[in-house]
Amino acid sequence: MLSIEAHGLTKEFKVYQSRPGLTGAFRDLFSRQYRIIRAVDSINLEISEGEMVGYIGENGAGKSTTIKMLTGILQPTAGQLKVNGFDPHREREKFVKTIGVVFGQRSQLWWDIAVQESFRLLQKVYQIPADQYKKHLDRMIEVLDIGSLLDQPVRKLSLGQRMRCELAASLIHRPSLLFLDEPTIGLDVLVKENIRQFLKEINREFGTTILLTTHDLSDIEALCSRVVMLDQGKIIYDGSLTQLRTMWGGNKKVHLEMEQEVMLIDLEARTDGLGVSWEKRGPRQYTAHLRNGETTVSEVLSRLVQHVPIQEMQIEEASTEEIVRKIYSEGMTVA
Amino acid sequence: MFHLRLFIEYFKQYMKTRLEYRWDFVAQFATDFLFQAVNLVFILVVFQHTKSLNGWNQSEVIFIYGYFLIPWAVFSAFFNLWDFNERYIIRGELDRVLTRPVHSLVQVIMETMSPESLLGVLTGLIVMGYAMTDLHLHWSWTDPLLFLLFTLGGVAVYAGIYIALTSISLYTDSKTDIQPIIFNIGSYGRYPVNIYHRVIQFALTWVLPFAFVGFYPASFLLDQEQWKGYALITPLVGAVYLAIGITCWNRGIRHYRGAGN
Repeated sequence: MLSIEAHGLTKEFKVYQSRPGLTGAFRDLFSRQYRIIRAVDSINLEISEGEMVGYIGENGAGKSTTIKMLTGILQPTAGQLKVNGFDPHREREKFVKTIGVVFGQRSQLWWDIAVQESFRLLQKVYQIPADQYKKHLDRMIEVLDIGSLLDQPVRKLSLGQRMRCELAASLIHRPSLLFLDEPTIGLDVLVKENIRQFLKEINREFGTTILLTTHDLSDIEALCSRVVMLDQGKIIYDGSLTQLRTMWGGNKKVHLEMEQEVMLIDLEARTDGLGVSWEKRGPRQYTAHLRNGETTVSEVLSRLVQHVPIQEMQIEEASTEEIVRKIYSEGMTVA
Repeated sequence: MFHLRLFIEYFKQYMKTRLEYRWDFVAQFATDFLFQAVNLVFILVVFQHTKSLNGWNQSEVIFIYGYFLIPWAVFSAFFNLWDFNERYIIRGELDRVLTRPVHSLVQVIMETMSPESLLGVLTGLIVMGYAMTDLHLHWSWTDPLLFLLFTLGGVAVYAGIYIALTSISLYTDSKTDIQPIIFNIGSYGRYPVNIYHRVIQFALTWVLPFAFVGFYPASFLLDQEQWKGYALITPLVGAVYLAIGITCWNRGIRHYRGAGN
């Protein structure tokens, strides 16, 4: 079954423009000029149950607007949208019981009351039976290690502590779909790792579908097999992370250090026809440039090892971050 | 029932945080009382110069004033929407509210309530009681019941108007100064309407019906037959205005543009 099903989903905003100067302001009183901005431009998106999908894009690409439509906060201007079988905005109150939401930059908990009181209120808000609530919550408190924070007001928690409490709060009603908007923003490496581990676990254990937006691509590398990339309101890539790498990763470089001196011509002759070009860095040091898609590292090595003993080897390839940066600066031409 | 139980939960949480500062309660009551006392002095000063205001004597005017304080106190306790724009639109808390399975207005009301304002009911009763020592009113068994209905109607009038005004924030996040203006007009309802010009009388009855919050019901309790019809439709007017307010709110939610990131 599909968790999210969107066809031609569009959101437009009217942006009023003010004319310069006092006379301009006076004229604005009577007729205001505006232009229409398409924050999300007719996107199609299907996400199956249990998937973990990374939703990425630059600032202003329309990520947050999409998430807000998917969570029922905003009403779409056009298009069809079914999330967990509901129309998120029209059937909001029934729908939101089936989702969990974490906005990294904004707290979902009540600022002034203790964490456990927030949880208690949420239990009432979601009408969770007491026995079920306790068992589930105890488990999350243990896994997220927030037992010692429960009696403190949210405003006194550090960002990492708060984030862990937010996660517990968003899952208190066992939603089948979890939206995470920048969940690891501003967190240190250890907490990030802890949170990723937790997300993997709930995905495995409860089959929770997760849609994650982030600027930190290492989150996506760690969690998501599928990436949806957004630019100027349109989806420019939807597919696996591996495919994104092979399509856009560019050439791989293999740095080799041989046990004895080798001639450049010798290497070129042995790897003839594989799409490799060699670069000499020293009498025993060479770099092989593998043209993307034409050959693999193992193929090159298999031709060499029997004849040229290799002492050390290092493979260099573009990081996801570099790939994404490249796509945004050059535009997506292959898709 | 669900909403009522939830309301009690929110109330308990609220009291928990408030009880940490218990002297605030006392201070709140004292300031509120003093504030009303100043208004009372104003009425007393006016009556130093005249025996009656268009047929109303001092005690009657004070009685109306005291009655008005009661729906006003209930309204301020549960419809504390003054900083809605700042807190929910600009700081974006409405986004959070909209991801919870309870009607958005109900949540906002529960999160912003300030039940200590209910102490104003006590002030109102004291003022009414003071006025009644001088008036010889006839109380029938239906009067307390009507009193309750009138109060609810008055609260609903206020609530409806303010919910509608607050809904403006859902369309635009720029600040509007209309709330304080309406607030001032609201205070007209605590004096007898027949002392005003006819246009104002009409406006206070059918446009911004603040006369139903204070004057009409109070005049009924003062055994004045002339405005009895108006007084009796107070709950109806309240229901209509509350419905208008809620409709504005629901339409506004559909237009809500979300907080920027």
